[in-house]
Amino acid sequence: MAVLVDITKCIGCEGCTVACKRYNNLNFKAKPRNVKDDGNVELDDNRWTVIQEFHGEKNDKLRFVKKQCLHCKEPACASACFSKAIQKDEKTGAVVYYPDLCVGCRYCLVACPYSIPKYQWNEQFPQVSKCQMCSERVSKGDAPACVSACTTGALMSGDRDELLKKAHEIINSDSRYINHVYGEHEVGGAEWLYISDVPFEELGFKDVSNVPVTSYTKSYLSKVPGLAACWALFLSGIAFYNYRVDKNRNQIHDPHDNDDQDKEG
Amino acid sequence: MSNKMSRRKFLKVVAGSGVLGFGVMASGCKGKPSGGDGWVSSQYEGKGDFPVNLKGRVAISATNPSIERDDEKCILCGQCVDACKNVMGVYGNYPLPLKQEIACVGCGQCVMQCPSGAITEKSHVRKVLDALDDDTKHVVVQTAPATKVSLGEEFGMPQGTSVGKKMAGALKAAGFDSVFDTCFAADLTIMEEASEFVHRLTKKKDEIPHLTSCCPGWVKYCEYFYPELMHNLSTCKSPQNMLGATIKSFYADKMGINPSNIVNVSIMPCTAKKFEVGREELEVDGQQDMDYVLTTRELAVLLKHKGIDLNTVAEAEYDSVLGESTGAGRIFGATGGVTEAAVRTAYYLATGSNPPADLLDWKPIRGMQSVKEAVASIPGVGAVNIAVCHGLENARQLLEGIKATGSSKWQFIEFMACPGGCIGGGGQPKSMDAVEAKKKRIEAIYKEDTGAAKRCSHDNAEIQSIYKDFFGKPLSEKAEKYLHTTFVNRHDRLFD
Ligand code: SF4
Ligand code: SF4
Ligand code: SF4
Ligand code: SF4
Ligand code: SF4
Ligand code: SF4
Repeated sequence: MAVLVDITKCIGCEGCTVACKRYNNLNFKAKPRNVKDDGNVELDDNRWTVIQEFHGEKNDKLRFVKKQCLHCKEPACASACFSKAIQKDEKTGAVVYYPDLCVGCRYCLVACPYSIPKYQWNEQFPQVSKCQMCSERVSKGDAPACVSACTTGALMSGDRDELLKKAHEIINSDSRYINHVYGEHEVGGAEWLYISDVPFEELGFKDVSNVPVTSYTKSYLSKVPGLAACWALFLSGIAFYNYRVDKNRNQIHDPHDNDDQDKEG
Repeated sequence: MSNKMSRRKFLKVVAGSGVLGFGVMASGCKGKPSGGDGWVSSQYEGKGDFPVNLKGRVAISATNPSIERDDEKCILCGQCVDACKNVMGVYGNYPLPLKQEIACVGCGQCVMQCPSGAITEKSHVRKVLDALDDDTKHVVVQTAPATKVSLGEEFGMPQGTSVGKKMAGALKAAGFDSVFDTCFAADLTIMEEASEFVHRLTKKKDEIPHLTSCCPGWVKYCEYFYPELMHNLSTCKSPQNMLGATIKSFYADKMGINPSNIVNVSIMPCTAKKFEVGREELEVDGQQDMDYVLTTRELAVLLKHKGIDLNTVAEAEYDSVLGESTGAGRIFGATGGVTEAAVRTAYYLATGSNPPADLLDWKPIRGMQSVKEAVASIPGVGAVNIAVCHGLENARQLLEGIKATGSSKWQFIEFMACPGGCIGGGGQPKSMDAVEAKKKRIEAIYKEDTGAAKRCSHDNAEIQSIYKDFFGKPLSEKAEKYLHTTFVNRHDRLFD
């Protein structure tokens, strides 16, 4: 499953961002963490997708660009994750994050060539957060929530090959479009594809290599299961040690002194 | 800090999740992916490409001077699109990709239709409260005709209750230094506009059809979509701005106040007025006529904040010099009202005597029909064909018809952006039954007209004296300077 974003059709209503927040139960009240110099808000843990605004020369060509995870065909974030908390779903193509598997190392944040994954800095048990391509909706055959909420035709979902064909048809039939489908080849290709009449570099798109980042990390990946096992054992060890200390101390001190209660600070 | 936890508990949890994580990973089970535990409205279930009646939402720029939206309240119901597209003919009526701006005429009909209160006016309440607290400022307020028959609803009164005098009393209690009547300025507008119309009819036929210009929503619509008709717009400012300019010149002079110390506030049924006050073309000597606009709803908020109950507040008269109004000025708030008022005075200007009884109770141009037509026979001028249109989608259809035939069978056309005119404005109280509310407000407005001692703008004694003391006569140089304006072609901002 893929999504084609036609930037020329976006009116900047941000219905897509609201649909995403509603469907994924994100916090509407959270203030933006990152505001760029041009005033555009960047993704953060409560903004899995944002609409960024760009003005052409002479204030012409007002364009809005939807930003979210591109769901790479060879996701660097997934290959950087030794505990397999990010996995590419073969059926839907979604690059999905499983919080139960995450150890919080945040390698994915560094690995992503587009700086997409964000971290819940304010949470007690922080998770990584990023667009999941509405994997549960998509696996039922539904469109992602954002795509469904878009009424202008700026977002279309479907089979990647068909959308690519459509993208090239649109480009070929209308000379205003730039002859480039962003996401077709970028770092090995992505499920999210963009077409535009304004050069991508003027719309905040990163000029990345066509070589997948994963080609550098394959060897490292093979060691993942062993590493994860060691990590789990190490943590279990600490916990056991702590438990013993706890038990011994409780025998000496007042048995009512229960350290496990959260204390108001 | 309730977020704090003991080191021990933290390690337990981390270790627990470590073991669990390794366990699930080794067994090939992944747990639940993050996200997906919220909801979306039912029209977004499924593949999303099924045709449904209502979907999506309008775009609102952060710089929109009239309206704003709280995303947390938006349920993506699509009602605002219905208002903007089907009632106002804005959404979807310009090409994509966008050019310079998101089209919006500021009418606020999306506010009225938004079921969750996500879209609201951009509030000026705080700024007005601050001005009231500032001793160096002389804060002047004016109230539009349509607010006098609707404000009561915000205080539990039946629809169509006339509360003009109570509102004047409440505004005085709230601390405004002078309380003037926009109906007075409506009479002033009629003096100028009727004179302009008679002049165009007899001497400047290329500016016929004469199109009214007191509705800022319609004016912006014309500038966006029909710039070729801009020279047909009446050059008269809206009553709000005519009064604003008069307050900062004539009144300031008379009272010996420096105009820069005057804060001009208006109580309007309208969100487009918030856009209008910032229009550069309206400035006189680099000074804005008006400073802040409160909608009817915002005034209710301000009064409640000050603990003033409209039900119990003492009635008061509007302040003199700019406070007298005639029946003609009062009917501005209803669709057809401007036309009826203008024809009454045009008749007088052409014949020297007041119009006959049927023109004082001119049924064909009243009521909620989308386009109303009538013929006024004015001795010396002849038969004048008139159309009255409200709701901008209706305006679009009417104007497309004119464009297709290349000529207009009407010499005078009144346009109001909002359905029903200003009584149905985007700043009005929300009601259980909007259709009924509009009917009741219209009835109340015409009752104020028939109950008025004077029915025609030119009979207003304060109007007569302000011409004598200040403006000279309608369309004089001074009147042109303070009471007339120009327009801006906005076509290029949407179209190639
Ligand atoms: S865009 Fe970044 S986060 Fe998304 S799949 Fe690619 S590498 Fe991973
Ligand atoms: S695909 Fe789903 S998770 Fe991703 S941006 Fe759209 S709504 Fe949000
Ligand atoms: S819903 Fe569609 S038109 Fe609206 S901002 Fe998102 S992509 Fe653009
Ligand atoms: S204020 Fe009027 S023109 Fe602007 S978005 Fe709302 S309905 Fe449309
Ligand atoms: S009418 Fe209100 S709630 Fe409905 S889509 Fe528009 S802004 Fe959202
Ligand atoms: S009809 Fe009245 S309330 Fe509506 S936009 Fe025009 S002036 Fe404002």
